Amino acid sequence: MDKKKAVDDTEPGPTPSWPVDRFGFIKPEQGSSPDGISKSTSVHERERERDERRLRKWRKMIGVGGSDWKHYVRRNPHVVKRRIRKGIPDRLRGLVWQLISGSRDLLLMNPGVYETLVIYETSASELEIIRDISRTFPSHIFFQQRHGPGQRSLYNVLKAYSVYDRDVGYVQGMGFLAGLLLLYMSEEDAFWLLVALLKGAVHAPMEGLYQAGLPLVQQYLYQFEKLVLEHMPKLGQHFIEEMINPSMYASQWFITVFSYSFPFHLTVRVWDVFLYEGIKVVFQVGLALLRFCHDELVKLPFEKLLHAFRNFPEEATDPDVLLPLAFTFKVSSHLEELEKEYQKRLEGSNASTSTKRSQPLKLKTMSRIASRAFGNSTNNSEK
Amino acid sequence: MAANAGNKIRNAKLVLLGDVGAGKSSLVLRFVKGQFVEFQESTIGAAFFSQTLAVNDETVKFEIWDTAGQERYHSLAPMYYRGAAAAIVVYDITNPASFTRAKKWVQELQAQGNSSTVVALAGNKADLLETRQVQIEEAKTYAQENGLFFMETSAKTAINVNDIFYEIAKRLIQGQPAQNPQAGMVLSQRPNERLVSSSSCCS
Ligand SMILES: Nc1nc2c(ncn2[C@@H]2O[C@H](COP(=O)(O)OP(=O)(O)OP(=O)(O)O)[C@@H](O)[C@H]2O)c(=O)[nH]1
Ligand SMILES: [Mg+2]
Repeated sequence: MDKKKAVDDTEPGPTPSWPVDRFGFIKPEQGSSPDGISKSTSVHERERERDERRLRKWRKMIGVGGSDWKHYVRRNPHVVKRRIRKGIPDRLRGLVWQLISGSRDLLLMNPGVYETLVIYETSASELEIIRDISRTFPSHIFFQQRHGPGQRSLYNVLKAYSVYDRDVGYVQGMGFLAGLLLLYMSEEDAFWLLVALLKGAVHAPMEGLYQAGLPLVQQYLYQFEKLVLEHMPKLGQHFIEEMINPSMYASQWFITVFSYSFPFHLTVRVWDVFLYEGIKVVFQVGLALLRFCHDELVKLPFEKLLHAFRNFPEEATDPDVLLPLAFTFKVSSHLEELEKEYQKRLEGSNASTSTKRSQPLKLKTMSRIASRAFGNSTNNSEK
Repeated sequence: MAANAGNKIRNAKLVLLGDVGAGKSSLVLRFVKGQFVEFQESTIGAAFFSQTLAVNDETVKFEIWDTAGQERYHSLAPMYYRGAAAAIVVYDITNPASFTRAKKWVQELQAQGNSSTVVALAGNKADLLETRQVQIEEAKTYAQENGLFFMETSAKTAINVNDIFYEIAKRLIQGQPAQNPQAGMVLSQRPNERLVSSSSCCS
């Protein structure tokens, strides 16, 4: 698979002496990180064996380079769903993410397009992107080095997207999505995965998160507030009394799909499910966080609540605790109703600002959009 | 800086506004935690902090909203500045575009018509004198004309950071006697007493 990431094999990075966790983030001085330094060797050993078994199963399921994947999914969608919820093996994550997001198909249908976007096009957002490059995952070794490979590929992906969709351009927050993807795949793959998400290759398009007025952020926050009231009425009511608006704590959850200021081992597990099942898992995880801390939160006043949202206890962010809790919330049909309700309210209040509800693009259409005008070129990105 | 027991504590909502990378988060981090990081993550949405300041025998507790600077996030901002007792509009002295943006924020705040809001203008990154592009006189004049108080600050060296919050706290107390929390204060009637001393950081 890919270059970076493999922190165990000592990388010729710029800061080889700094201790990093298993994902490549530089550890805070105090130590005690979630990857289990303090665990006894036997526990370690057992985990390693479990991981190996899991990896073998996954390898069999996807086939060489993903060749068996589609076939397997069609025949055993529930097995796939269950396994993904348990976590994709880190070594296969990059490949599987591309398979489940539909980005691999986009890439194959659009050879050379990425390169053209990067090399030949100029973007109005270039300066803005540069300004943010060193401020995206600044504590990850891959992105730390000034003008190093991490920063350069991050710049390229973001610039390419800002050209690909000039209306959306570059928006702060995208960098965290792109950065996360780049830890698992090449630039070109990361770019197409971003396209798949924002344009909606498999699930509903998410570009509304970044369009003027942030229409989709507003919609998600509306839905989320209602879901909280429905599933945790006491807490929902408490929020209203304390004048806590969901935008105060949940906008980043949606804008970056938990890739901003959450423990990375949780982020990737959320992404596993998110790419396969769609945005609803963000609602579920949000609800689970609140449920986990429910009894504490209902007692807190405004200010303490806001602190609590920024400092969820470590147990709450353990994916093996949080995700099972998240899946207990059944939200799909309710989300749809709330979306309709929201759209109706929008149309009622102000027709001009209503969100255009875009359907997921069919992949054929995608390729038409993508391949405008560019001459072909070598598709040399290595996978 | 800690609150003295028995003091009258008043809460004051304060919002930071300004261009991407002007240093809003860095100023807050310096004020609240006494820290500075070379590569501060960009703010997505908004972030909340709180800090208390003792001014004479009163204590002001700031409830601080640090907002995201990018224009695209503009639609989220009103929620944070609405009802704020104070605002710090931040620009980067090495970036003229950020000064233009700061003026837009000031206009927007003024259009809100809440004249009791204490508005401070912070010319941040005052440690970067060699690359300065916004002259101190220009900012000072602008501040005077618009009834703001102005300081050049540096989140990096800490210069004027506590001072700007302290000055805001003082003005909040002066303008709003504790007995009568409803009374507003009219900024333009107050002399900009700190203007002179504020420039001392940079020469
Ligand atoms: N030299 C110097 N650099 C500063 C100062 N304040 C902030 N910076 C740097 O400027 C960059 C941006 O600072 P932030 O505090 O993140 O800016 P912001 O206004 O919060 O930006 P957004 O959250 O993107 O809107 C960071 O890399 C800081 O280290 C300062 O006083 N001096
Ligand atoms: Mg910030």
